[in-house]
Amino acid sequence: MSLSWTAPDSLALGPAGQAGAGARGLAPAERPQRIVSLVPATTEMLFAMGAGDRVVAVGSYDHFPPEVERLPRVGALLDPNVERILAMKPDLVVLYGTQTDLQTQLSRARIPYFAYSLGSLPDVALSIRAIGSRVGASGAEALATSIERRLADIRARVAGRPRPSTLLVFGRERGSLRNIDASGGSGFLHDMLVTAGGADVLADVPRQSVVMSTEMVLARAPDVIIEVRSSDEAAAPPDLRVWDTLSAVPAVKNRRVYLLAGDEFVVPGPRAVTATERFARTLHPEVFR
Amino acid sequence: MSRWSPLREPTEISVEKAAASPRSGVAGVAPRLALTLTVFLAVTVVVCLLAPLIGSTPVHLSRVFDRGIPFAENVDAQVFFIARLPRVVAAAIVGSGLALSGVVFQALLRNPLASPDTLGVSAGASLGAVLAITFHADVTLAGVPAVPLAGFAGSVGALAIVYVLAAARRRGTPGTALLLAGIAISALLAAIGRFIQYFADFTDTFRSVQWLMGSLDVGGYAPILAALVPLTVALAGFATLPRVLDLLSIGPESAATRGVDIVRAERVALVSASLSTGAAVALGGPVLFVGIIVPHIVRLIVGPEHRLVLPASALFGASFLVVCDLVARTILAPVELPVGIVTAILGGPFFLWLLFRRVL
Amino acid sequence: MLQARDVTFAYGGGRGRVLDGVSIDVDRGAIVGLLGPNGSGKTTMLKLLAGLFQPLSGSITLDGRAVGSLPRRELARRMAVVPQETHSTFDFTALDIVLMGRYPHLGAFELEGANDLAIAREMLMATGTAGLEGRRFATLSGGEKQRVVIAGALAQAAEMLLLDEPTASLDLGYQLELALLLQRLNRERGMAMVLSTHDLNIAALLCTHAVLLKDGRVLARGAIESVLTEANIRSVYGVEADVRFHDRARHVTVVPIARAD
Repeated sequence: MSLSWTAPDSLALGPAGQAGAGARGLAPAERPQRIVSLVPATTEMLFAMGAGDRVVAVGSYDHFPPEVERLPRVGALLDPNVERILAMKPDLVVLYGTQTDLQTQLSRARIPYFAYSLGSLPDVALSIRAIGSRVGASGAEALATSIERRLADIRARVAGRPRPSTLLVFGRERGSLRNIDASGGSGFLHDMLVTAGGADVLADVPRQSVVMSTEMVLARAPDVIIEVRSSDEAAAPPDLRVWDTLSAVPAVKNRRVYLLAGDEFVVPGPRAVTATERFARTLHPEVFR
Repeated sequence: MSRWSPLREPTEISVEKAAASPRSGVAGVAPRLALTLTVFLAVTVVVCLLAPLIGSTPVHLSRVFDRGIPFAENVDAQVFFIARLPRVVAAAIVGSGLALSGVVFQALLRNPLASPDTLGVSAGASLGAVLAITFHADVTLAGVPAVPLAGFAGSVGALAIVYVLAAARRRGTPGTALLLAGIAISALLAAIGRFIQYFADFTDTFRSVQWLMGSLDVGGYAPILAALVPLTVALAGFATLPRVLDLLSIGPESAATRGVDIVRAERVALVSASLSTGAAVALGGPVLFVGIIVPHIVRLIVGPEHRLVLPASALFGASFLVVCDLVARTILAPVELPVGIVTAILGGPFFLWLLFRRVL
Repeated sequence: MLQARDVTFAYGGGRGRVLDGVSIDVDRGAIVGLLGPNGSGKTTMLKLLAGLFQPLSGSITLDGRAVGSLPRRELARRMAVVPQETHSTFDFTALDIVLMGRYPHLGAFELEGANDLAIAREMLMATGTAGLEGRRFATLSGGEKQRVVIAGALAQAAEMLLLDEPTASLDLGYQLELALLLQRLNRERGMAMVLSTHDLNIAALLCTHAVLLKDGRVLARGAIESVLTEANIRSVYGVEADVRFHDRARHVTVVPIARAD
């Protein structure tokens, strides 16, 4: 599924053909032409906002949109390959805020960079605007606005509906219920869940991830259990049957254990909206046909 | 009376003196054995009965055993029988398995700092698990999922390699050869494991790190039953070993000249210890320090004789890990600590205390 | 009784031969000394006699039966070994060490009884270590350890004792005591003994016979007086020595005088 955005004519644009809160206008000559993006989320954002043609290299884990498969790879969070990055002669490198060593090396080579920090759902739109203004992408504002609008739309549709308490599991040992990794009361997955009209069963635990024991699952008694998987993990056949032993859990009793697979669940980029919509459809099927 | 004496037949008087002396020594092994077993068994039973009753979730015993409520809807019963009881049983099995193999390795290698990790058994289990996690292995055998199966295979495989390497040597004491081979294999397997982790997907690496911290939340009885198979074989082997371990700990040649078949004894010891470690690690992950701490504490209480130390370590190891797991799952509720962290936190101060005891 | 015939041995099964064509006869009631300089193969020969290693060629038999083929327990009931050094990993007491000598007499799951305990205490007394009974073996001095280990070997109630450098860590007083004890055992019980030693005077005191080894080969064999000759000592040790019968001691003494080159 790809996203393409054109700026609606009615939107007021700045002199350089792009907008963004507090953005200084960029003359076309100042816009970066050789962008290297190490972060899957920002790669998706760049392509979605219309700057994809200026991306010359991507990170090892970037797989969307399909065009990036043809681009050279320069490493990722733990193993950025500085030599290959420099060989690309970039005029902008989008990297993680925590990659301080790489930032130092790029500064020494006088290559500008944009530090991206993983945040929560509202940050997606903010990041889109910030990157958009940095690279001078005309589609950024529209993209950001569209995302905000779609999220607001979801919120509206589920407003007033009872929120099922949901356990959001993003990992566990295959074939058993050991080492269940669940989303806690903060972070990207939690925000998507809440936007989609769910109540996080771990809302009181202020962590992004929580290791759940079977006792905790029984104690918290979620109404819905959603397991999310990235697309390569989804290749294995689903083994949701392991939840059947906990038959006293409402989600199991009422057969509301779901498996949602796709990279949109693990990449906090423009497709987060798709992920949220899929959550919403799972939690409130009657509202989303 | 005495069949042989270089000087004279021992008189009636000296035999009575022998029986009555303070360290009735070993005419007293039988009563000391009975006492030790009784006390340790009682402690273990009490611990194992209480542990499932304690946890982060309040559970009402009356509801747990209320036959009127169908099991499928009885949350209290499910917490007790699915979440907690298997966990306590698993902790007992893992604790005793690791403690027993710790005792045996320490005697076999004549080194009180030896542990199941020393001969590469834990490293093998870890590598097996890391491989299963990274390559998304999807087999299930007798209700046991891929990761624990791979862990078991890895630990037994590592030990087989170590044994073959050590047996190939002709010089040197068997203990030294084993130790060296074990250290080498441990290091090699750990390196391979790290190599795989480094190039694996971040999620898989994270999952294998999690596995390495240990988890007793088995959530069912199938893995427990599966682990009991190799453990039972191991126990049969251990049962033949106590006196032999005493003799071996003085030196293999001294043991041989006193009538011990050292090749057979070492084989039985190694195979049993690796089966028991493999089963324990497959069931609960490589829980650190149990194999070292428990034998030491037990020896401090009952003395060095393996006829006391072996059974007491099995029982104490079980209680110890049940208690550690209890702490792990309640101390920071609702978040749970991996049990390996609790044992490690206890491990450091324990060794400090050992050190100061020796010094003072 | 114990016979070694043309024994050849090399560690690792091949390269350097440690022993070459060694034959030894230990008759009932004899005390045989395995003599020779360091590296002559004395300790190795002792271990072969004890059945700890198998010879490359040749045979070692106890009353006609190959030592390697006897069940270990049975062998232990007939032959006890006192190694040069004993190290206890755990906190066993001296009594514990001696009690381990009763292993060959007990069934697989049998516990030591009052009888075994009495024997153990008896042996501690015999080696003058009764007072060390409750002490941790690891804390004993070298000489005390040695005597406790000997007590343990005696507790095996064997007809034969093999000792590796038994007086090495003993002071003069205990050397003499041990020698007297061994003599008494030999006299009163007919216990045969093989001891490897580099102390020629102790050998002269104790041994009835001796085998003198040089580079793994037997240089001289026979009654102790015929082995401890100035010629043999010169040949094996490269030392000019004065060998003469000591009237008061009632045995031959060896006094080194000078190097023989």
